[in-house]
Amino acid sequence: MTNESASGITRSVGQGGPKELAPFGATEMRLTARQWLATLAIVLAILLAVPALWERVERFDTGADYRIPYALSRDYWLYARWVKRAAVPGKVVVLGDSVVWGEYVQPDGAWPVFLTRESAGAPEFVNGGVNGLFPLALEGMVRHYAKLPAGQKVLLQCNLLWLTSPEADLSSTKEEHFNHARLVPQFTPRLACYRADASEKLTAEIQNRVGFLQWTSHLQNAYFEQKSILNWTLADDGGDPPQYPNAQRNPLAQITLTVPPAPLGDPQRGPASARHKPWSTTGVGSTRFDWVSLESSRQWAAFQRVVRLLRARGNDVFVVLGPFNEHIMAPQNRAPYQAIHDGVAAWLTAESIPHSVPEPLPSELYADASHPLTAGYELMAKRTLADAAFRRWLGRSLDK
Amino acid sequence: MLFHTWPFAIFLLIVLPVFFALQRTRLWLAWLLVASYFFYGWWNPYYLLLVVYSTLLDYALVAFMDHCPRAGPAGESGSRWAPRGLGDKLLKSAFVGSLLGAMAILAGAVWGPATLRPTLIGAEVLMLLMALGALLGSRKIWLLVSLVNNLALLLFFKYAGFVVGNLNAVFPRLHLPDPATLMPFGFAYLLPVGISFFTFQSLSYTIDFYFGNVHRERSLLRFATFVCFFPQLMAGPIERARHLLPQFNQFPAFRLQNLTDGASLLLVGLFKKLALANYLSLYVERVYDHPDTSSGAALVLGTVAFGWQIYFDFSGYTDMARGLARMMGFNLILNFNNPYLAASLGEFWSRWHIGLSSWFRDYVYIPLGGNRLGSWMTYRNLLITFLISGVWHGSKWTFLIWGALHGLGVIVMREMERSSFYRDRVPRLLKQAAVFAFVSFTWIFFRADSLADANLIIRRIATAGWGTANLPVLMVALVAAVWGYAFLYESRFRDLLKTGAVRVSLAVMMVLYLCLCASGGGAFIYFQF
Repeated sequence: MTNESASGITRSVGQGGPKELAPFGATEMRLTARQWLATLAIVLAILLAVPALWERVERFDTGADYRIPYALSRDYWLYARWVKRAAVPGKVVVLGDSVVWGEYVQPDGAWPVFLTRESAGAPEFVNGGVNGLFPLALEGMVRHYAKLPAGQKVLLQCNLLWLTSPEADLSSTKEEHFNHARLVPQFTPRLACYRADASEKLTAEIQNRVGFLQWTSHLQNAYFEQKSILNWTLADDGGDPPQYPNAQRNPLAQITLTVPPAPLGDPQRGPASARHKPWSTTGVGSTRFDWVSLESSRQWAAFQRVVRLLRARGNDVFVVLGPFNEHIMAPQNRAPYQAIHDGVAAWLTAESIPHSVPEPLPSELYADASHPLTAGYELMAKRTLADAAFRRWLGRSLDK
Repeated sequence: MLFHTWPFAIFLLIVLPVFFALQRTRLWLAWLLVASYFFYGWWNPYYLLLVVYSTLLDYALVAFMDHCPRAGPAGESGSRWAPRGLGDKLLKSAFVGSLLGAMAILAGAVWGPATLRPTLIGAEVLMLLMALGALLGSRKIWLLVSLVNNLALLLFFKYAGFVVGNLNAVFPRLHLPDPATLMPFGFAYLLPVGISFFTFQSLSYTIDFYFGNVHRERSLLRFATFVCFFPQLMAGPIERARHLLPQFNQFPAFRLQNLTDGASLLLVGLFKKLALANYLSLYVERVYDHPDTSSGAALVLGTVAFGWQIYFDFSGYTDMARGLARMMGFNLILNFNNPYLAASLGEFWSRWHIGLSSWFRDYVYIPLGGNRLGSWMTYRNLLITFLISGVWHGSKWTFLIWGALHGLGVIVMREMERSSFYRDRVPRLLKQAAVFAFVSFTWIFFRADSLADANLIIRRIATAGWGTANLPVLMVALVAAVWGYAFLYESRFRDLLKTGAVRVSLAVMMVLYLCLCASGGGAFIYFQF
């Protein structure tokens, strides 16, 4: 070392050869091949075992009229568990978006519940709807999470709301931010409006395929307010000035080993809520939609893929088209809507997919362009069960 | 492309097997170069041109320098202005080429599109300098061309906005144009990622060659790979030609230990970045984004947290860089060596960003005279070196102050170390705490968005109520665990850490922690430098 060594800037690496210049590191974390093998074996065992064990240990009370709580809409691991539990002979799994889930109604006011009630519980209809879902995301949900066994009866709802504009169809070129982005096709078919970078897209693809990562997402959703554990420790209460209630809390104590149920008496939903009223009383006038043609629609193509995927798995699929609120449409919109409506029905017929195309509900039973109110779901269930094709599909007469 | 993202994982899964498969061919080096260019171009393909240009120019300059007579009695004898270069074929060609180039560029500047004019004027100056270097056969002029070119790139992309903004503010009549308007073809005026790193690396080669410390690299392929070797291209460690270039002479021997060592470094780096730096950044942002409402305690802890954040972020990056290189059989220098255990500022700088501090030592401090000219000159040299180091980090006054504080701190501590009481009687732990406190204080200037914010933070630390800091217990526990590990590593109990059980347990915990807690994303702090 030269006389420069007394100062900070100068006392640095030596001037020797590569070996001297490149010591291994500033830690003793230098695993041998054998130690790496041991590490990988232990990690692999944990990654495989924990989600399976967790399923046995964690309490998941579903009870009657269960639907995935709104707060857990992005807990796909829980959804898979729920659907797996529901998929038994004698039950029909109803798949779809917030129309199936019941955006404006309490859990006991949703379509599947009325279907069960009207059919006297034989069969039982399970609410497999998810709030915020749409066909492109439903495709990912079915592909990765709703893996139903062959022979399982599946009632699929087709909502034409997703074709009302290029934005809703996700076929616009302008950047869009939407729910359940992790479930949409990440690379093909390409969605021009979905601008996540390659890293986000790959992460989504990997998360959808690795059970342990899905399980960690479940932990975040169920116990850490939909945040990563680290973010949760820093979360504020939204006050002014903000408080940080989790800073001093033990994250492990959050894990109660019981899936949180939906809050009782959700003030945002049900007949008692301010939102639960006919669309015509909300000040929304007739609307002119910028319909997307069936041929160019991304959502319709995704819906077709969903049907094919379910059938390829041996699921017994029945499709209900609607209920779209035709009363909300401006008169000049009727022709393109009818063309789409008829095109969907024609495709279902051509593919020999059992389906029903019910009449629209009365105007006062809609809360918006596609969601019925509680009474609307009840009527919808009655009409569905009265449909001959549906009865044939169920395999028994439901006439009382 | 960031090391901790899935696209990079896929990139690596392609690059590594092909690299090993090519070991018996001559293509392995070309493959490394292609991979490195792809890696850089992923960020912005246009700016790849900058790396290629810088590489080609420095390669050519050293070749020209090699054809010039060396200084001294046997070398540059006779008149300084004698046209010695015309006696050498290569220099004669360089002279003619530079002159023709200068004329073409001049024509382009006069009659070409206006958007190209500023770039062409810069190129014209370089061409004329080159012509002069070729004519006189002067190694000094060739070195000057390299310095002007590399520093001009750095100055334009990194400092022009700052300089122009400040000059226009002080002299409003100047109306200096926004540097963004000088970009050719209307390209976006962005700071090229890692520009400070690859220009310094390339520059060190030309300077080392000028002083005879390194042989001329005749293979353009090897030199280009040296400049843009992808593991350390974006944020170092800044390598010297004499260390890294010879490693590209032949395919490194395949050893299983290289793979396991590399994977070990990679895991530690990933843990530092994803589990620690990203976590700390959340708290730091919360405090530093609202200094006016944060309590004194929060500001102190936010500053300390930033000290750890930047350490984990940058050392995590270099661990990953070294790990990736090691997997392929290459050794990169150690860039961080538990800097927060330093007992003096001098020691701190021998443990922190070693690649950069040794660069400044060799190319700034020592050429200025080092400590050979007495105390006052030593202090002047130290101060200049640290000021430049501060400016290197960014074009803000806060960086300059950060550099100045470190310069002054080193000088003061150097004086203190002369006293036997401080040297022998003050416990090392106390010295370590003092150094850590001082370094943390300087981070305020490094992290604050502006000088006004830095002042506000310091004022509030002193005057605002202590209040609650709301620092998560988990964060404290993690940092304490890492600090504890570092202390253990430098203690007589170090052997404990070498046992297989400890290593495997720590590795398992790190992987699981990453799977459970890490939130991806977040570019590395040092990319902006």
